[in-house]
Amino acid sequence: MTLTAVVGEIILWTVIVSLFGLTAGLFLLGIDRKIAAHMQARIGPRLRQPFIDIRKLLVKENIIPENAIPWLFNLAPVIALVSSLVILLYIPLGSLHSPLGMYGDLILVMYLLTIPALATVAGGFASGSPYATVGAQREMVTMIGYEFPLAIVVIAIAWRLWAAGVAHPFLLSTIAGNPVWGLVGPLGIVGVVLLLIVLAAVTPAELSRIPFDTQEAETELAGGLLVEYSGRNLALFSLTTAVKTLVLGALIVAVFFPWNLSSFVAMPAGIAQLADLVFFLFKVVLVMSVIVTLVRVGMARFRINQVVTVYWHTFALIGLVGLLLLMADSALAGVL
Amino acid sequence: MTLVESLSTGTGFWNPLAWLIAVLVAAVIVYLIRQRGESGYKKGTTQTVPFISGNPEPEKEMVHVRASNLYWGYLDALKGYYNFIVPAHTGVLNDYVLWYLGTTAALFVVVVFI
Repeated sequence: MTLTAVVGEIILWTVIVSLFGLTAGLFLLGIDRKIAAHMQARIGPRLRQPFIDIRKLLVKENIIPENAIPWLFNLAPVIALVSSLVILLYIPLGSLHSPLGMYGDLILVMYLLTIPALATVAGGFASGSPYATVGAQREMVTMIGYEFPLAIVVIAIAWRLWAAGVAHPFLLSTIAGNPVWGLVGPLGIVGVVLLLIVLAAVTPAELSRIPFDTQEAETELAGGLLVEYSGRNLALFSLTTAVKTLVLGALIVAVFFPWNLSSFVAMPAGIAQLADLVFFLFKVVLVMSVIVTLVRVGMARFRINQVVTVYWHTFALIGLVGLLLLMADSALAGVL
Repeated sequence: MTLVESLSTGTGFWNPLAWLIAVLVAAVIVYLIRQRGESGYKKGTTQTVPFISGNPEPEKEMVHVRASNLYWGYLDALKGYYNFIVPAHTGVLNDYVLWYLGTTAALFVVVVFI
């Protein structure tokens, strides 16, 4: 392929995946709200309610507070949404072509995941509101909290692949193509389950969801980071949450549940990709329903100092035990 | 054809140019969404006053959150560690040299004997 063709392909797939990410992400938010409502014995809004909310925000006034730094206040939601869309390009979506899959690995995805959060922090500080400032500080502390357990999960999975002799262990297509469950024995399976629990605990914090939503905390900070945002800027932050929901779901599916329907049922290539995409979305809905919806309905919010303790003490320890179990399993299997 | 060359770290890699192209395309999409939104608001009205739960805004100095509070939650969660590590910074050079020698000895034991 020529350089022009490569660039053209990246541009085309960025457009396709971005539109898919925005649509699927908003539907995921709708499903989350519907399931949460049923868990609370309510009917809940329609599945397309997030789309209606975005349309409503786009016709509302885009107020810039008098204390704000206007350029940074307006730029933050743009950076947050752009960076969220770009992360999606590195993650396999079913058996579909991952546009940037060959141009970056899981370590890069880990770093890119911090950009939307940092953009939100910048927007909070630029708001000129004490609520937003406190929210921004809490977001930074939460990030410090969950990055360590997240790093343990990434390294543990990649290390196990490397120990099994798999080339490019940090590449997401490699991880998705070599399900870690099939590489380990009984001890290793316990370790992988522990790592899954850690990644599941990191996800609500990445999405600012209960019990790790101290940065927004409606009852204490009246929305925290986003308290001064309205109109189209708030619409962009809402879209960021939608896309990040899909990103996190896709990441968990790629690392822990990468199987495709076409691997089990024979079907023509075109139909196989579509079936795999539908199956992928089904897995994302299932995973997010448990680790985000069920958790946020069943739990209360942690205080900010508890957030760090929970991540650095509890989940870092669980992650390290998971890593040790993987190492012990490898030693028993004679591959270490 | 590869898009120039990906940066490699031995086990990991990334291609900044591919990332940049995707960022630019995504930025155009986000710009188009943003342009569909209302841009105006009523400048100089109570709309632009910071929201402080309906209370009048105090003097700026009174509501300013200091940088020393930046990592409050973090410091509070790890206060057991900081309660130990802060007093260890005595400012006495002899103490620092002792810590240096002790740490080096411990590392020596770990590296050489384990």
